[in-house]
Amino acid sequence: MKYICIILLTLLNINKPDQELYTCKNAHITLFSKALIEDIKATTASGISVFNATTSELNFSVPISTFQFEKAFMQQHFNSDYMESDKFPRAIFKGKIQEHIDAAKDGTYPVNVAGDLTVHGITQKRTIQGNVTIKNGIVSMASEFMVRCADHHIDIPQILFYHIAESIKITVSATYNPYKNIP
Amino acid sequence: MAQVTTTDSLFNSMSSDKQHGPVTIFESPRLILTQSTEMLKKKNMNLVFAHRFGDVAGDLGGGRTLFGLDAIADVYIGFQYGITDNLNVDFGRSTLPNGGGLISGQLKYALMHQTADDSSPLAISVLGMGGVRPYNAYNTFGDRVSYFAQALFARKITHSFSLQVAPSILYDNQPDPNVPGNENTIFSVSATAKLKVTKLMSIVVDYAHPFSSFRNNNAGYSDPLGAGIQVVTGGHVFTLNISNARAINEMNYLANSGSDFGRGQYRLGFTISRTFDFTHKEKYNPK
Repeated sequence: MKYICIILLTLLNINKPDQELYTCKNAHITLFSKALIEDIKATTASGISVFNATTSELNFSVPISTFQFEKAFMQQHFNSDYMESDKFPRAIFKGKIQEHIDAAKDGTYPVNVAGDLTVHGITQKRTIQGNVTIKNGIVSMASEFMVRCADHHIDIPQILFYHIAESIKITVSATYNPYKNIP
Repeated sequence: MAQVTTTDSLFNSMSSDKQHGPVTIFESPRLILTQSTEMLKKKNMNLVFAHRFGDVAGDLGGGRTLFGLDAIADVYIGFQYGITDNLNVDFGRSTLPNGGGLISGQLKYALMHQTADDSSPLAISVLGMGGVRPYNAYNTFGDRVSYFAQALFARKITHSFSLQVAPSILYDNQPDPNVPGNENTIFSVSATAKLKVTKLMSIVVDYAHPFSSFRNNNAGYSDPLGAGIQVVTGGHVFTLNISNARAINEMNYLANSGSDFGRGQYRLGFTISRTFDFTHKEKYNPK
Protein backbone atom coordinates (compact mmCIF):
# COMPACT_ATOMS: atom_id res chain seq x y z
CA MET A 1 0.00 0.00 0.00
CA LYS A 2 2.82 2.36 0.97
CA TYR A 3 4.52 1.74 -2.35
CA ILE A 4 1.32 2.25 -4.31
CA CYS A 5 0.94 5.61 -2.57
CA ILE A 6 4.49 6.55 -3.41
CA ILE A 7 4.05 5.53 -7.03
CA LEU A 8 0.78 7.44 -7.31
CA LEU A 9 2.28 10.50 -5.70
CA THR A 10 5.29 10.22 -7.94
CA LEU A 11 3.13 10.00 -11.03
CA LEU A 12 0.88 12.83 -9.93
CA ASN A 13 3.69 15.16 -9.03
CA ILE A 14 6.32 14.48 -11.62
CA ASN A 15 3.91 14.99 -14.46
CA LYS A 16 3.50 18.63 -13.59
CA PRO A 17 4.88 20.18 -16.74
CA ASP A 18 5.80 23.54 -15.28
CA GLN A 19 8.89 22.52 -13.36
CA GLU A 20 12.37 22.55 -14.81
CA LEU A 21 14.06 19.40 -13.51
CA TYR A 22 17.57 18.15 -14.02
CA THR A 23 18.94 14.78 -12.89
CA CYS A 24 22.36 13.21 -12.58
CA LYS A 25 22.91 9.49 -12.01
CA ASN A 26 26.69 9.43 -11.99
CA ALA A 27 27.80 12.22 -9.66
CA HIS A 28 31.48 11.85 -8.81
CA ILE A 29 32.16 12.09 -5.11
CA THR A 30 35.61 11.86 -3.60
CA LEU A 31 36.69 11.75 0.02
CA PHE A 32 40.16 12.55 1.16
CA SER A 33 41.83 12.33 4.54
CA LYS A 34 45.34 13.19 5.55
CA ALA A 35 46.61 10.25 7.59
CA LEU A 36 49.71 9.33 9.53
CA ILE A 37 51.14 6.62 7.32
CA GLU A 38 49.51 7.33 4.00
CA ASP A 39 46.74 9.59 2.77
CA ILE A 40 43.40 7.95 2.30
CA LYS A 41 41.30 8.60 -0.76
CA ALA A 42 38.15 7.02 -2.07
CA THR A 43 35.94 7.74 -5.04
CA THR A 44 32.54 6.81 -6.32
CA ALA A 45 30.65 7.67 -9.47
CA SER A 46 27.33 6.36 -8.15
CA GLY A 47 26.02 9.55 -6.60
CA ILE A 48 22.60 10.68 -7.74
CA SER A 49 21.31 14.21 -7.78
CA VAL A 50 18.17 16.13 -8.63
CA PHE A 51 18.21 19.85 -9.36
CA ASN A 52 14.94 21.73 -9.65
CA ALA A 53 15.68 24.99 -11.44
CA THR A 54 12.19 26.29 -10.72
CA THR A 55 12.33 25.94 -6.94
CA SER A 56 16.18 25.97 -6.62
CA GLU A 57 16.01 22.69 -4.71
CA LEU A 58 19.15 20.57 -4.94
CA ASN A 59 19.36 17.02 -3.58
CA PHE A 60 22.24 14.58 -3.49
CA SER A 61 22.45 10.97 -2.41
CA VAL A 62 25.39 8.59 -2.43
CA PRO A 63 25.47 4.88 -1.50
CA ILE A 64 28.29 4.52 1.06
CA SER A 65 29.26 1.03 -0.05
CA THR A 66 30.11 2.24 -3.57
CA PHE A 67 33.18 4.18 -2.43
CA GLN A 68 36.27 2.52 -3.90
CA PHE A 69 39.45 2.67 -1.84
CA GLU A 70 42.97 1.98 -2.93
CA LYS A 71 43.28 -0.88 -0.45
CA ALA A 72 40.65 -3.54 0.09
CA PHE A 73 40.94 -3.59 3.88
CA MET A 74 40.49 0.19 4.05
CA GLN A 75 37.20 -0.21 2.23
CA GLN A 76 36.16 -2.97 4.63
CA HIS A 77 36.95 -0.81 7.68
CA PHE A 78 35.27 2.23 6.14
CA ASN A 79 32.03 0.30 5.66
CA SER A 80 31.93 -1.86 8.77
CA ASP A 81 33.68 0.25 11.42
CA TYR A 82 33.40 3.92 10.46
CA MET A 83 30.26 4.38 8.40
CA GLU A 84 28.32 1.23 9.41
CA SER A 85 26.94 1.16 5.89
CA ASP A 86 24.67 -1.80 6.59
CA LYS A 87 22.73 0.41 9.04
CA PHE A 88 23.20 3.72 7.22
CA PRO A 89 23.46 2.85 3.54
CA ARG A 90 23.35 6.39 2.15
CA ALA A 91 24.66 9.88 2.74
CA ILE A 92 22.02 12.42 1.73
CA PHE A 93 22.01 16.17 1.21
CA LYS A 94 18.75 18.06 0.70
CA GLY A 95 19.19 21.74 0.13
CA LYS A 96 18.18 24.88 -1.66
CA ILE A 97 20.37 27.13 -3.75
CA GLN A 98 20.20 30.60 -2.22
CA GLU A 99 20.98 32.46 -5.43
CA HIS A 100 18.80 32.48 -8.53
CA ILE A 101 20.17 30.47 -11.43
CA ASP A 102 18.96 31.08 -14.95
CA ALA A 103 19.46 27.70 -16.61
CA ALA A 104 19.02 29.26 -20.02
CA LYS A 105 22.02 31.56 -19.70
CA ASP A 106 25.60 30.33 -20.02
CA GLY A 107 28.01 31.19 -17.25
CA THR A 108 29.53 30.12 -13.96
CA TYR A 109 27.64 30.99 -10.83
CA PRO A 110 29.20 30.76 -7.35
CA VAL A 111 26.38 29.51 -5.11
CA ASN A 112 25.56 28.81 -1.48
CA VAL A 113 23.39 25.78 -0.88
CA ALA A 114 21.64 25.65 2.50
CA GLY A 115 20.14 22.40 3.70
CA ASP A 116 20.44 19.18 5.67
CA LEU A 117 23.40 16.86 5.35
CA THR A 118 22.72 13.35 6.66
CA VAL A 119 25.76 11.15 7.12
CA HIS A 120 25.93 8.08 9.37
CA GLY A 121 22.29 8.67 10.34
CA ILE A 122 23.02 12.12 11.83
CA THR A 123 21.61 15.23 10.19
CA GLN A 124 23.41 18.57 10.33
CA LYS A 125 22.28 21.93 8.97
CA ARG A 126 24.91 23.04 6.50
CA THR A 127 25.50 25.79 3.99
CA ILE A 128 27.80 24.47 1.32
CA GLN A 129 29.55 26.59 -1.27
CA GLY A 130 30.00 25.51 -4.83
CA ASN A 131 29.88 26.47 -8.45
CA VAL A 132 27.12 25.96 -10.97
CA THR A 133 28.24 26.05 -14.60
CA ILE A 134 25.87 26.32 -17.52
CA LYS A 135 27.34 25.78 -20.93
CA ASN A 136 25.25 25.26 -24.06
CA GLY A 137 22.29 24.37 -21.86
CA ILE A 138 24.19 21.69 -19.94
CA VAL A 139 24.12 22.18 -16.17
CA SER A 140 27.04 20.99 -14.08
CA MET A 141 28.04 21.58 -10.47
CA ALA A 142 31.19 21.27 -8.43
CA SER A 143 31.85 21.70 -4.76
CA GLU A 144 34.46 21.01 -2.15
CA PHE A 145 33.69 21.01 1.56
CA MET A 146 34.76 19.49 4.86
CA VAL A 147 32.82 17.05 7.02
CA ARG A 148 33.82 16.66 10.65
CA CYS A 149 33.61 13.01 11.75
CA ALA A 150 32.51 14.06 15.23
CA ASP A 151 29.54 16.04 13.82
CA HIS A 152 28.11 12.80 12.48
CA HIS A 153 29.08 10.59 15.44
CA ILE A 154 31.63 8.68 13.39
CA ASP A 155 33.93 7.12 15.97
CA ILE A 156 37.52 6.54 15.04
CA PRO A 157 38.71 3.33 16.72
CA GLN A 158 41.86 4.11 18.65
CA ILE A 159 43.97 1.09 17.76
CA LEU A 160 43.58 1.39 14.02
CA PHE A 161 46.96 1.81 12.43
CA TYR A 162 45.54 4.12 9.81
CA HIS A 163 44.48 7.16 11.80
CA ILE A 164 42.26 9.34 9.73
CA ALA A 165 41.94 13.09 10.10
CA GLU A 166 39.15 14.63 12.20
CA SER A 167 37.77 16.33 9.13
CA ILE A 168 37.35 14.68 5.77
CA LYS A 169 37.49 16.65 2.54
CA ILE A 170 34.61 15.88 0.19
CA THR A 171 34.71 16.78 -3.49
CA VAL A 172 31.55 16.61 -5.57
CA SER A 173 31.09 17.04 -9.29
CA ALA A 174 27.93 16.35 -11.24
CA THR A 175 26.75 16.91 -14.79
CA TYR A 176 23.00 17.01 -15.29
CA ASN A 177 20.56 15.93 -17.96
CA PRO A 178 17.19 17.62 -18.33
CA TYR A 179 14.50 15.36 -16.88
CA LYS A 180 11.96 14.43 -19.53
CA ASN A 181 8.40 14.13 -18.32
CA ILE A 182 6.37 11.26 -19.56
CA PRO A 183 3.51 12.95 -21.43
CA MET B 1 0.13 13.96 4.92
CA ALA B 2 3.21 16.02 4.33
CA GLN B 3 3.47 17.64 0.95
CA VAL B 4 5.90 15.73 -1.23
CA THR B 5 7.59 18.15 -3.57
CA THR B 6 8.31 17.30 -7.18
CA THR B 7 12.03 17.29 -6.44
CA ASP B 8 11.66 14.93 -3.51
CA SER B 9 9.47 12.45 -5.29
CA LEU B 10 11.79 12.29 -8.28
CA PHE B 11 14.75 12.05 -5.89
CA ASN B 12 13.13 9.21 -3.95
CA SER B 13 12.25 7.32 -7.09
CA MET B 14 15.90 7.48 -8.12
CA SER B 15 17.39 6.38 -4.78
CA SER B 16 16.79 2.81 -3.88
CA ASP B 17 18.02 1.69 -0.50
CA LYS B 18 18.99 -1.63 -1.98
CA GLN B 19 22.56 -2.37 -1.11
CA HIS B 20 24.82 -4.18 -3.45
CA GLY B 21 28.02 -6.05 -3.12
CA PRO B 22 29.21 -8.78 -0.80
CA VAL B 23 28.95 -8.65 2.99
CA THR B 24 32.02 -9.14 5.17
CA ILE B 25 31.12 -12.15 7.31
CA PHE B 26 34.45 -12.90 8.98
CA GLU B 27 37.25 -10.35 8.88
CA SER B 28 39.91 -12.96 8.33
CA PRO B 29 40.34 -15.97 5.99
CA ARG B 30 41.51 -18.05 8.96
CA LEU B 31 39.63 -18.41 12.25
CA ILE B 32 40.88 -20.45 15.20
CA LEU B 33 40.70 -23.98 13.81
CA THR B 34 38.80 -23.58 10.59
CA GLN B 35 39.29 -21.37 7.58
CA SER B 36 36.47 -19.00 6.69
CA THR B 37 34.52 -18.14 3.55
CA GLU B 38 36.32 -14.80 3.52
CA MET B 39 38.56 -14.41 0.48
CA LEU B 40 41.62 -12.32 -0.15
CA LYS B 41 41.04 -9.78 -2.86
CA LYS B 42 42.97 -9.94 -6.10
CA LYS B 43 46.66 -9.08 -5.74
CA ASN B 44 46.48 -9.16 -1.95
CA MET B 45 48.83 -11.33 0.04
CA ASN B 46 48.25 -12.50 3.57
CA LEU B 47 51.09 -13.67 5.78
CA VAL B 48 50.03 -15.90 8.66
CA PHE B 49 52.00 -16.80 11.76
CA ALA B 50 50.10 -19.15 14.04
CA HIS B 51 51.40 -20.61 17.25
CA ARG B 52 50.12 -23.20 19.71
CA PHE B 53 51.89 -23.52 23.05
CA GLY B 54 52.16 -26.61 25.24
CA ASP B 55 49.57 -27.95 27.68
CA VAL B 56 48.52 -25.41 30.29
CA ALA B 57 47.79 -28.08 32.91
CA GLY B 58 48.06 -31.86 33.17
CA ASP B 59 51.25 -33.94 33.10
CA LEU B 60 53.14 -31.66 30.72
CA GLY B 61 51.84 -28.33 31.97
CA GLY B 62 51.97 -26.41 35.21
CA GLY B 63 54.64 -24.09 36.55
CA ARG B 64 57.51 -26.20 35.28
CA THR B 65 56.76 -25.24 31.67
CA LEU B 66 55.26 -21.85 32.65
CA PHE B 67 51.83 -23.29 31.86
CA GLY B 68 52.91 -24.51 28.48
CA LEU B 69 54.60 -21.31 27.31
CA ASP B 70 57.99 -23.07 27.23
CA ALA B 71 56.75 -25.74 24.87
CA ILE B 72 55.71 -25.64 21.24
CA ALA B 73 52.80 -27.80 20.17
CA ASP B 74 52.69 -26.42 16.62
CA VAL B 75 53.83 -23.44 14.60
CA TYR B 76 52.29 -22.61 11.24
CA ILE B 77 53.86 -20.16 8.83
CA GLY B 78 52.03 -19.63 5.62
CA PHE B 79 50.94 -17.18 3.00
CA GLN B 80 47.91 -16.78 0.85
CA TYR B 81 47.60 -14.89 -2.37
CA GLY B 82 44.56 -13.68 -4.25
CA ILE B 83 44.83 -14.79 -7.88
CA THR B 84 41.39 -13.31 -8.40
CA ASP B 85 38.81 -12.03 -5.91
CA ASN B 86 37.32 -15.53 -5.90
CA LEU B 87 40.39 -17.77 -6.17
CA ASN B 88 43.09 -17.89 -3.50
CA VAL B 89 46.21 -20.00 -3.38
CA ASP B 90 47.78 -20.91 -0.06
CA PHE B 91 51.13 -22.38 0.98
CA GLY B 92 52.05 -23.29 4.51
CA ARG B 93 54.35 -25.24 6.73
CA SER B 94 53.53 -26.74 10.10
CA THR B 95 56.25 -27.66 12.58
CA LEU B 96 54.32 -30.29 14.51
CA PRO B 97 57.46 -31.64 16.26
CA ASN B 98 56.13 -35.17 16.81
CA GLY B 99 54.20 -35.51 13.57
CA GLY B 100 56.93 -35.10 10.98
CA GLY B 101 55.87 -31.59 10.01
CA LEU B 102 53.57 -30.79 7.13
CA ILE B 103 53.99 -28.78 3.97
CA SER B 104 50.63 -27.93 2.49
CA GLY B 105 49.34 -26.30 -0.64
CA GLN B 106 45.76 -25.22 -1.11
CA LEU B 107 43.35 -23.70 -3.58
CA LYS B 108 40.21 -22.01 -2.31
CA TYR B 109 37.38 -20.84 -4.51
CA ALA B 110 34.39 -18.68 -3.59
CA LEU B 111 31.28 -20.01 -5.30
CA MET B 112 28.96 -17.38 -3.88
CA HIS B 113 29.02 -14.35 -1.60
CA GLN B 114 26.36 -13.22 0.82
CA THR B 115 24.95 -9.96 -0.48
CA ALA B 116 23.53 -7.07 1.49
CA ASP B 117 20.15 -7.26 -0.26
CA ASP B 118 19.95 -11.01 0.54
CA SER B 119 19.61 -11.98 -3.11
CA SER B 120 22.27 -14.47 -2.09
CA PRO B 121 21.75 -15.40 1.57
CA LEU B 122 24.90 -17.48 2.07
CA ALA B 123 28.56 -17.33 1.30
CA ILE B 124 29.92 -20.61 -0.03
CA SER B 125 33.57 -21.40 -0.59
CA VAL B 126 35.27 -24.68 -1.38
CA LEU B 127 38.86 -25.60 -0.72
CA GLY B 128 41.14 -28.43 -1.70
CA MET B 129 44.46 -29.08 0.01
CA GLY B 130 47.35 -31.45 -0.50
CA GLY B 131 49.97 -32.09 2.17
CA VAL B 132 53.33 -33.85 2.42
CA ARG B 133 55.07 -34.86 5.66
CA PRO B 134 58.76 -34.16 5.05
CA TYR B 135 60.19 -35.83 8.16
CA ASN B 136 59.75 -39.10 10.10
CA ALA B 137 60.25 -42.51 8.51
CA TYR B 138 57.80 -43.69 5.84
CA ASN B 139 57.99 -46.73 3.57
CA THR B 140 57.17 -44.85 0.39
CA PHE B 141 56.78 -41.24 -0.61
CA GLY B 142 53.09 -41.89 -1.18
CA ASP B 143 52.61 -42.62 2.50
CA ARG B 144 53.63 -39.06 3.29
CA VAL B 145 50.77 -37.56 1.30
CA SER B 146 47.33 -36.48 2.55
CA TYR B 147 44.39 -34.80 0.87
CA PHE B 148 41.73 -32.57 2.33
CA ALA B 149 38.62 -31.00 0.86
CA GLN B 150 36.10 -28.77 2.59
CA ALA B 151 32.97 -26.83 1.72
CA LEU B 152 32.35 -23.71 3.81
CA PHE B 153 28.85 -22.29 4.28
CA ALA B 154 28.61 -19.01 6.18
CA ARG B 155 26.06 -16.35 6.94
CA LYS B 156 26.18 -13.06 8.77
CA ILE B 157 22.92 -13.52 10.67
CA THR B 158 22.76 -10.21 12.50
CA HIS B 159 24.93 -7.11 12.49
CA SER B 160 27.27 -8.74 15.01
CA PHE B 161 26.68 -12.50 14.78
CA SER B 162 28.06 -14.78 12.08
CA LEU B 163 27.90 -18.54 11.76
CA GLN B 164 29.74 -21.03 9.59
CA VAL B 165 29.21 -24.75 9.02
CA ALA B 166 31.80 -26.67 7.06
CA PRO B 167 31.67 -30.36 6.16
CA SER B 168 34.95 -31.86 5.07
CA ILE B 169 36.69 -35.03 3.99
CA LEU B 170 40.27 -35.96 4.85
CA TYR B 171 42.18 -38.78 3.20
CA ASP B 172 45.54 -39.95 4.56
CA ASN B 173 47.47 -42.40 2.38
CA GLN B 174 48.79 -43.85 5.60
CA PRO B 175 46.45 -43.50 8.57
CA ASP B 176 47.51 -40.88 11.11
CA PRO B 177 48.36 -42.18 13.72
CA ASN B 178 49.52 -45.33 11.94
CA VAL B 179 47.96 -47.94 14.21
CA PRO B 180 45.68 -50.90 13.40
CA GLY B 181 42.01 -50.03 13.19
CA ASN B 182 42.55 -46.41 12.16
CA GLU B 183 40.81 -45.17 9.04
CA ASN B 184 42.32 -43.55 5.97
CA THR B 185 39.22 -41.49 5.32
CA ILE B 186 37.60 -39.21 7.89
CA PHE B 187 34.46 -37.18 7.38
CA SER B 188 34.14 -34.18 9.68
CA VAL B 189 31.88 -31.24 10.31
CA SER B 190 33.14 -27.94 11.68
CA ALA B 191 31.01 -25.20 13.17
CA THR B 192 32.19 -21.68 13.93
CA ALA B 193 30.40 -18.78 15.57
CA LYS B 194 31.64 -15.21 15.75
CA LEU B 195 30.15 -12.51 17.93
CA LYS B 196 31.32 -8.96 17.39
CA VAL B 197 31.62 -7.22 20.77
CA THR B 198 33.20 -3.93 19.75
CA LYS B 199 33.95 -2.44 16.36
CA LEU B 200 37.30 -4.15 16.19
CA MET B 201 36.98 -7.10 18.57
CA SER B 202 35.06 -10.35 18.25
CA ILE B 203 34.67 -13.55 20.21
CA VAL B 204 35.14 -16.68 18.12
CA VAL B 205 34.19 -20.25 19.06
CA ASP B 206 35.34 -23.01 16.74
CA TYR B 207 34.46 -26.70 16.94
CA ALA B 208 35.08 -29.75 14.79
CA HIS B 209 33.65 -33.24 14.98
CA PRO B 210 35.34 -36.07 13.08
CA PHE B 211 32.91 -38.93 12.33
CA SER B 212 35.21 -41.78 13.16
CA SER B 213 34.60 -44.96 15.11
CA PHE B 214 38.30 -45.10 15.86
CA ARG B 215 38.36 -41.61 17.40
CA ASN B 216 36.27 -42.17 20.50
CA ASN B 217 36.73 -40.97 24.03
CA ASN B 218 37.77 -44.41 25.29
CA ALA B 219 40.74 -44.41 22.92
CA GLY B 220 41.75 -41.00 24.29
CA TYR B 221 40.43 -38.85 21.47
CA SER B 222 38.32 -35.78 21.90
CA ASP B 223 36.84 -33.31 19.43
CA PRO B 224 38.88 -30.19 18.70
CA LEU B 225 37.38 -27.11 20.31
CA GLY B 226 38.80 -23.62 20.42
CA ALA B 227 37.62 -20.25 21.69
CA GLY B 228 39.27 -16.88 21.51
CA ILE B 229 39.18 -13.22 20.75
CA GLN B 230 39.92 -11.73 17.37
CA VAL B 231 41.16 -8.17 17.05
CA VAL B 232 41.18 -6.46 13.67
CA THR B 233 43.29 -3.40 13.01
CA GLY B 234 43.95 -1.89 9.59
CA GLY B 235 45.54 -4.71 7.64
CA HIS B 236 46.30 -6.89 10.69
CA VAL B 237 44.27 -9.57 12.40
CA PHE B 238 45.30 -10.90 15.81
CA THR B 239 43.69 -13.94 17.38
CA LEU B 240 44.35 -15.05 20.94
CA ASN B 241 42.82 -18.41 21.71
CA ILE B 242 42.57 -21.42 23.95
CA SER B 243 42.09 -24.83 22.34
CA ASN B 244 42.65 -28.47 23.05
CA ALA B 245 43.89 -29.11 19.51
CA ARG B 246 47.67 -29.20 19.32
CA ALA B 247 47.87 -28.80 15.57
CA ILE B 248 46.91 -25.82 13.43
CA ASN B 249 46.43 -27.46 10.03
CA GLU B 250 43.10 -29.25 9.44
CA MET B 251 44.90 -32.40 8.26
CA ASN B 252 46.60 -32.73 11.60
CA TYR B 253 43.99 -31.71 14.14
CA LEU B 254 41.14 -33.65 12.54
CA ALA B 255 43.14 -36.89 12.30
CA ASN B 256 45.11 -36.75 15.50
CA SER B 257 42.95 -35.02 18.08
CA GLY B 258 44.36 -36.77 21.11
CA SER B 259 44.26 -34.00 23.67
CA ASP B 260 41.42 -33.32 26.05
CA PHE B 261 40.30 -30.30 28.08
CA GLY B 262 39.45 -32.65 30.97
CA ARG B 263 43.05 -33.84 31.24
CA GLY B 264 44.40 -30.29 31.26
CA GLN B 265 45.53 -30.66 27.66
CA TYR B 266 44.49 -27.24 26.46
CA ARG B 267 46.79 -24.52 25.39
CA LEU B 268 47.18 -20.87 24.58
CA GLY B 269 47.57 -19.99 20.96
CA PHE B 270 47.78 -16.94 18.81
CA THR B 271 47.56 -16.05 15.16
CA ILE B 272 48.98 -12.94 13.58
CA SER B 273 48.11 -12.19 10.01
CA ARG B 274 49.09 -9.23 7.93
CA THR B 275 47.59 -8.37 4.56
CA PHE B 276 49.66 -6.66 1.89
CA ASP B 277 47.86 -5.01 -0.98
CA PHE B 278 49.78 -4.98 -4.24
CA THR B 279 47.21 -3.08 -6.24
CA HIS B 280 48.46 0.35 -7.07
CA LYS B 281 45.80 2.59 -8.39
CA GLU B 282 46.70 6.04 -9.61
CA LYS B 283 48.58 7.99 -7.02
CA TYR B 284 46.60 10.89 -5.64
CA ASN B 285 48.52 14.15 -5.47
CA PRO B 286 46.78 16.80 -3.40
CA LYS B 287 47.48 20.31 -4.57
